Amino acid sequence: MQLSGFLGAGSAMSMTSFFTLTFFMVFVPLCVISYTLVPNKLKKYQLLLASYIFYWLVSGELIIYLLLSTVSMLCFGLWLDRVQTKMKSTLSVTPKEEKKETKKRYIKKQRLIVLLAVFLHIGILLFLKYSAFFTSNVNILFAFFKIPVALTVPKYLLPIGISFFTLQAMSYIFDVYHGVIKADRNIGRLALFLGFFPQIVEGPICRYSQTAEQLWNAGPIKYENLTFGIQRYLFGMLKKLVIADRLSPIVIEIFDKYNEFSGGIIALGAVFYTIQLYMDFSGSMDAVIGIAQIFGIRMPENFERPFFSRSISEFWKRWHITLGAWLKDYIFYPIVTAGKMKKLTAAARKKIGNHFGPLLAGSIALFCVWFCNGLWHGSAWNFIFFGMYHFVLILSGNAIAPAVNSINHHLHINADSFWYRLMQMVRTSVLVVIGELFFRANGLRNGFLMFGKMVTGLVPNLFDRQGLINVLIRTGRNSLDLIIVAVTLVAVFAVSILNEKGISVRDELAKRKILIRWAVFYLLIVYIVIFGAYGAGYKPIDPLYAQF
Amino acid sequence: MSKIVSILEDIKPGIDYENCKDLIDGHHLDSLSIISLIAELEDEFDITIPAVEIVPGNFNSVEQMAAMVERLQEE
Repeated sequence: MQLSGFLGAGSAMSMTSFFTLTFFMVFVPLCVISYTLVPNKLKKYQLLLASYIFYWLVSGELIIYLLLSTVSMLCFGLWLDRVQTKMKSTLSVTPKEEKKETKKRYIKKQRLIVLLAVFLHIGILLFLKYSAFFTSNVNILFAFFKIPVALTVPKYLLPIGISFFTLQAMSYIFDVYHGVIKADRNIGRLALFLGFFPQIVEGPICRYSQTAEQLWNAGPIKYENLTFGIQRYLFGMLKKLVIADRLSPIVIEIFDKYNEFSGGIIALGAVFYTIQLYMDFSGSMDAVIGIAQIFGIRMPENFERPFFSRSISEFWKRWHITLGAWLKDYIFYPIVTAGKMKKLTAAARKKIGNHFGPLLAGSIALFCVWFCNGLWHGSAWNFIFFGMYHFVLILSGNAIAPAVNSINHHLHINADSFWYRLMQMVRTSVLVVIGELFFRANGLRNGFLMFGKMVTGLVPNLFDRQGLINVLIRTGRNSLDLIIVAVTLVAVFAVSILNEKGISVRDELAKRKILIRWAVFYLLIVYIVIFGAYGAGYKPIDPLYAQF
Repeated sequence: MSKIVSILEDIKPGIDYENCKDLIDGHHLDSLSIISLIAELEDEFDITIPAVEIVPGNFNSVEQMAAMVERLQEE
């Protein structure tokens, strides 16, 4: 018997979308019912079993990578722990003058262990995700220099969520190395931390200290968690099915056949894609966080209303927060605090001042962060360009900050006034949309061609009504689709404004009478059932970030 | 503590460092200031500040910075 068909291995790929009937009408209810039925002390094992069944169903034999990562985490953690324990006992009997040297020796040993872990985990990720990109680029170089060699471009199956769980596994090893957490001896707890079923597809990228204990000690389902969790899930479904998936065919049409459209339509395509991506990813995050909440698990937030950001730098503190935090903690800070970089900072500060001195060292670390960010998203030049684009924007934003402050001061401009803040938010959103155009384009060359056509053709075709009608006809859509998207966006925007003001809509709703609560609940369900983009004429759209 | 205050005033003047308790959370010190601060603190107190110590809880006030420096000196 072939492994690929064994016990439904890989037979439910569609479950990577949290909004398919198989997932939310079969898998999740079965999981909740069985979780409720098992005794409290076995609940963690039920969650672990459900998570592995989920991964088996969506990935089949590729589950081996998840298992390998878990075992590797356990081994490297325990190895580090052993060296750290030995270091402590040795240091306790070492004379004071020799302590520094002894400590250095043990730190070096720990660094080698971490390096080995990085080599293994990141190596597997690089091998599976980037070897095709690397070899095809090498072939292009060979052809350019007329070298008669052509390497075979490998094609590997990528395990679902590998980009996410690899970073999560690495954060565990780094945190053990830094002494932030103790190495875990319980492989079950580590396996659940890494493989918890809603989170494994597209994050959020959790730290061991955030979720491992919570998951392992998950208790009975509480009514409040159940209702709050379902509400959050439904809100995500609204974003994904009513907005993102409804825009999807329009976005595909514009990006695939951009040369048939005007600059105005290409700009509209970039805006639509940005909305689609945000609604898709943040909607999926609502689903993940909502499902986890049903079991009483608090997952870290991945979005905090990014389009209210006043700068690109702030935008990335509000968009895909857990990835940004990972890159900051494990790439940015280790680079800027490395010995030579600190010397560079101190020397540069004396020469070029308090602002530009640290900016020099910071820019090297920032470059590494954004190169990794771009590459993490995919093995294509447009993703690397996307990273570099944001690197340049953030760096230039930092570089000109003193000049902008000085101009504002001299012109008596209140940088905290509503209109100034609004202008900053609009500017940030425009820059984000341009970045997303390159991100979504079918290759970097097409990205530049689209951008060129958009810039040169935008003014004469800013409101290309006929072009829009053509897109709608070609995709079998009509103006009603756009009205539904617009109305739903207004509702999501209203919730965002309230959240931005510190008002929790769910908490406010919970204070209302039961009749009102259930009326809102049913209204939301009916709205999704009527206006959701599914059924005839729609193909189920996989979560966009699951491919990264 | 006075040494830390004078380093901070050199890096970013115009803040009441002795009384401010939310230097990071209140966005008084940005990441560039922190990069400079780390280099100066290490130089002044002969310590190594690892990346893992760069958390708001260690930099929100001069007292917290002093406590971190003291702890790292003992290690």
